[in-house]
Amino acid sequence: MAGLATTFGSGAMTNSINEIENAQVMLVIGSNTSEAHPQVARRIFTAMDRGARLIVIDPRRTLLARRADIHLAIRPGTDIPLLNAMMRIILDENLADDLFIEMRTENFYGLRDMLYRLDLEETARLTGVDLAGIRAAAQLYGRAQKAVICYCLGITQHVCGTGNVQAIANLAMLTGHVEKEDTGVDPLRGQNNVQGACDMGALPNVFPSYQQVDIDDYREKFERAWHACLPSQPGLTLMEMTHGGKNGPLKAMFIMGENPVLSDPVQARVEETLDNLEFLLVADIFLTETARRAHVVLPAASFAEKTGTFTNSERRVQMVRRVIPPLGQSRTDSDIIMDLSARLGYAMDYESPAEIMEEISMLAPIYGGMQHDRLENSWGLQWPCWDRRHSGTPFLHKYYFTRGKGRFVPTVHEPPAELPDEDYPFLLITGRIYHQYHTGTMSRHSALLSREAGEALLQLHPGDGRRLGVRSGDLVRMRSRRGEVQVKAQLTETVKAGEIYTTFHFSEMPVNRLTISAKDHFSQCPEYKICAVHLEKV
Amino acid sequence: MPSQQKDLYLPRPAEIREVIAENSQIKTFVLSFVDRQYHDKFSYAPGQFLMVSIPHCGEAPISVSSTPANGGTIHLSVRRAGKLTEAMHDMKKGDVVGLRGPYGRPFPMTDLAGRDLLFVAGGIGLAPLRSVINTCLAAGHGRRITILYGSRTPSDIAFQADLATWGQTANVSCLLTVDRAEPGWEGDVGLVTALLAQCCLAPRESKALLCGPPMMIRAVLAELAGRGFADEDIITTMERHMKCGVGICRHCHMDDKLVCKDGPVFTLEELKRLNVLELRG
Amino acid sequence: MTDKYILKKDHLLPLLRKLKKTHRLIAPVQNRHGDTLFTVIDNLDEVRIDLENQAQNSLKQFFFPQQETLFSYSNPAGDSYHFEPVAEEIPPTLYFGVRPCDLAAVLYLDVVFLKNAKDPNYLQKRQNSILVGLNCNDPFASCFCNATRNGPFTDCGFDLQLTDLGDRFLVEYDRSRGQEIISQWRQFFAQAGEQDVKAQYQAFLEARGKFKLQVHLDQAVKKLAEDEVPDSVWEELSMRCQDCGGCAYICPTCTCFTISDLQTSDHAGERIRSWDACTFSGFTRMAGGHNPVDRQMRGIEKRFRHKLQFDVKKDNRPSCVGCGRCVNICFGGTDIVRFINMTCCENS
Repeated sequence: MAGLATTFGSGAMTNSINEIENAQVMLVIGSNTSEAHPQVARRIFTAMDRGARLIVIDPRRTLLARRADIHLAIRPGTDIPLLNAMMRIILDENLADDLFIEMRTENFYGLRDMLYRLDLEETARLTGVDLAGIRAAAQLYGRAQKAVICYCLGITQHVCGTGNVQAIANLAMLTGHVEKEDTGVDPLRGQNNVQGACDMGALPNVFPSYQQVDIDDYREKFERAWHACLPSQPGLTLMEMTHGGKNGPLKAMFIMGENPVLSDPVQARVEETLDNLEFLLVADIFLTETARRAHVVLPAASFAEKTGTFTNSERRVQMVRRVIPPLGQSRTDSDIIMDLSARLGYAMDYESPAEIMEEISMLAPIYGGMQHDRLENSWGLQWPCWDRRHSGTPFLHKYYFTRGKGRFVPTVHEPPAELPDEDYPFLLITGRIYHQYHTGTMSRHSALLSREAGEALLQLHPGDGRRLGVRSGDLVRMRSRRGEVQVKAQLTETVKAGEIYTTFHFSEMPVNRLTISAKDHFSQCPEYKICAVHLEKV
Repeated sequence: MPSQQKDLYLPRPAEIREVIAENSQIKTFVLSFVDRQYHDKFSYAPGQFLMVSIPHCGEAPISVSSTPANGGTIHLSVRRAGKLTEAMHDMKKGDVVGLRGPYGRPFPMTDLAGRDLLFVAGGIGLAPLRSVINTCLAAGHGRRITILYGSRTPSDIAFQADLATWGQTANVSCLLTVDRAEPGWEGDVGLVTALLAQCCLAPRESKALLCGPPMMIRAVLAELAGRGFADEDIITTMERHMKCGVGICRHCHMDDKLVCKDGPVFTLEELKRLNVLELRG
Repeated sequence: MTDKYILKKDHLLPLLRKLKKTHRLIAPVQNRHGDTLFTVIDNLDEVRIDLENQAQNSLKQFFFPQQETLFSYSNPAGDSYHFEPVAEEIPPTLYFGVRPCDLAAVLYLDVVFLKNAKDPNYLQKRQNSILVGLNCNDPFASCFCNATRNGPFTDCGFDLQLTDLGDRFLVEYDRSRGQEIISQWRQFFAQAGEQDVKAQYQAFLEARGKFKLQVHLDQAVKKLAEDEVPDSVWEELSMRCQDCGGCAYICPTCTCFTISDLQTSDHAGERIRSWDACTFSGFTRMAGGHNPVDRQMRGIEKRFRHKLQFDVKKDNRPSCVGCGRCVNICFGGTDIVRFINMTCCENS
């Protein structure tokens, strides 16, 4: 998010998902869209039916990559050099949008000077992709009238995640592929409501609607509304909270609907941190690995048992309605928070989720016109929606960027924190599969989904398999500097030699025992996508 | 065949009378229905299978490896392969499983009479053929019987007691081979097709019955074709994922055929009209 | 004298009110979010029966629920294992406003569930059902029952059948149960005249010309029978398929199911049957992991071959009824119409 915030001024999809259908060129980078975002992949397929061309930049030959016109099987962690090379080619071949650059952006010369110092051959070597492929991709993207870039966690879960996003933003601005309908930069969010959580200030440094805590005007507005004194300093990031260890900064934690024991890197460190808290409270719909360590567990209601809104990737706020009352002793999240708050001495007195939404629309300008009555019986509204007369915003940055002018932030290659070496010769990429969701807390309860994908598999190149004497179905021991797991191998040419891929859905194979805590300096997002491991047949 | 009945999907409890460990992967469960009356009425034919229920594990199709000729108990030989079979391997004498069936089209026993019989099996594939062999022997089959059986290693050889008995029966020759020898093994090493080469066969007067892994089936089919066996004289039994066993759920489809109803026993002639992965290689 | 009758539109609700006294009533109802679904009607005055839009669901879920308990079991100890049938009372049910495609689908379900072995759960629900059909004067956007030859008008499969003639319905019966309803509630039904029958023919003629899709189903059936569908078609469709199973779930004639145990306590549970889809890779994968279907390249092949080739071979007619629901639900673009179009374009 930090990447788009510094360049465009707003960290969200600039387009609506439907607009992708009308693009002429789609550049998908760091996203296994057909497995992780099938509803987006569907639009990509539709666009291709209408003649659009697809460029996929991904270390793995995913299903989408196989369908692409151009697949650049990049060496993991070299997105910035690749994007820079594309930009240099666009400059050299006169495909840059001079008018757009002139009217809508700043610091172009900073970017240009950096690009002119680039040695293209050398950069191509670094990325492991041949220059002709990069050139073809640059030409295709640069020449398009309407082009979208979709990216996902393959971009952000790197030490240089923010830089990666800035490079993407640079590319889009250089060619004028932003600020228009059917054209833009689209980060695909990992969960149904992660956009909403960010919008509501579930970030260390902002109040709802991205109003910074350290700006007095914003803070005072919330203090007046809530009759409370609010901190003026940003709080802790996720990794600071879950990786504090024995002498961490926190004495107590309240974790809602999250399972950091499985989802955060370096599992041992997370467990140590949680076990050393004076008090751990977990609210979840099932007893997760994290909940098992809690002093108190509060059973929470599922989506079908509560009323409220979800905000999806395309900034669309949609109603979700209660179909059944909460089962057993479970209670809705807002109910839990309000009761807890009352017992801690601060009465939160909301009659209904609709009343909470009214407060949101008063305090969060981008949600200004979104009351429940407007969201009922519709497909929802896309923020920014400033007031009750506003019909929402299908694509962002029309006429001007949120921050005024779009800013080119030149970025240079930053190598991953840990690359394969003699002792740990394989590069491990982690990700997700279609049939399971996150740590499997919910999806593993489905017999059918478990039948489809019931255990973790390690994708391994057949050549590597032969060398290690491993066949599909064999158990391998996978070890990093931080931990060890055993996992069943699946030989496939989806991955390149030397690179392996697995998922973090299964508690029997907690791959985050192995991953690294190195993280992006700005967003603090850990580098889940790259760590070095050693493999042997069990 | 069960037709209209209220308990189409309802298994009947059956007690494990004995567990025979055939090798590290295969156990034979000797069973009888808890309901004595039902047990006495119960009958089946070689090649048919039963749906076996294990608590909390659902159901799986297992072919009967015993012969109905002797009456008495039902033998199910089970290879450890998934959740249900793992759980079954943990069961002991006296435990109860659920059974329903028998289902499927059996081996054409009347066609077998009066012919030389060649049985070719690999691993667990001997289980359904064992039922045929013992039924033929009990009926006093007058012609030559040749049994070829391949295993991975000598310690993987299952149904040792039967193999020993057959080896000593007149008119029956029983040849074994293993993929990998172990110390003390003096028999053949290699594929069952190598055994086939040693046999003197009269293709026009024979029927060949095969059951085993797809690789073995393909190799044997090629060999038999070369020896002049007609497609309708080659019979095999197919394995597919199954759920209902009675021709409704359609998991076991092979083109327009259902393995549970139209099979599991098919002649090669029938299979060649279908698009069967095992035959394509 | 014909055995056709007239029911005034004004008298429909009063008739349904009478029939509802002895039957559970299921009809297409538009809910407050604008979705039309076949729904069990508790109170006729509180719902809007919608005969203008296509119901999103078919009758499949009522005869063959998405999930149903076959029996319960208990195993208090290793040496005991009991099975208890689950008794379920199914009231006599009247299905109202069933389109020709959905009627044809029910006839197909009868073949699946009653021909090989009589499925007791299905039979129980089917035995007590009365089907009141409604011919389609205005085929919906994705309809192609003209290609599957079971619509837009039908002459079989219903107990009673209505045709909209503006201010009145023409009523026909196909089974004795339909005739019984007419004779029991004679006050609602007037003898139809020659003009009414002519008007019905006219509506039929006009309806045939209103299809928006042109689907060359016959040609696809022929190509499949002659094995002329190139591998590239299967590959393209299989790779596009997003594996959601939506087509099979929404399809009125897709009946594949799976059976599994649902553990309810340490020593008890239920055997459940639930909808499955032949497009899922677990559908054919065997316990050892071997899969006799190449899922990547041919994952979707079975779905179309079954409907357009194997069922034609067995029953002389395809088991696609042309309702078009899969066209609307598929988000990979691998629905049956696309398959038929691809197949028929390949060679031209």
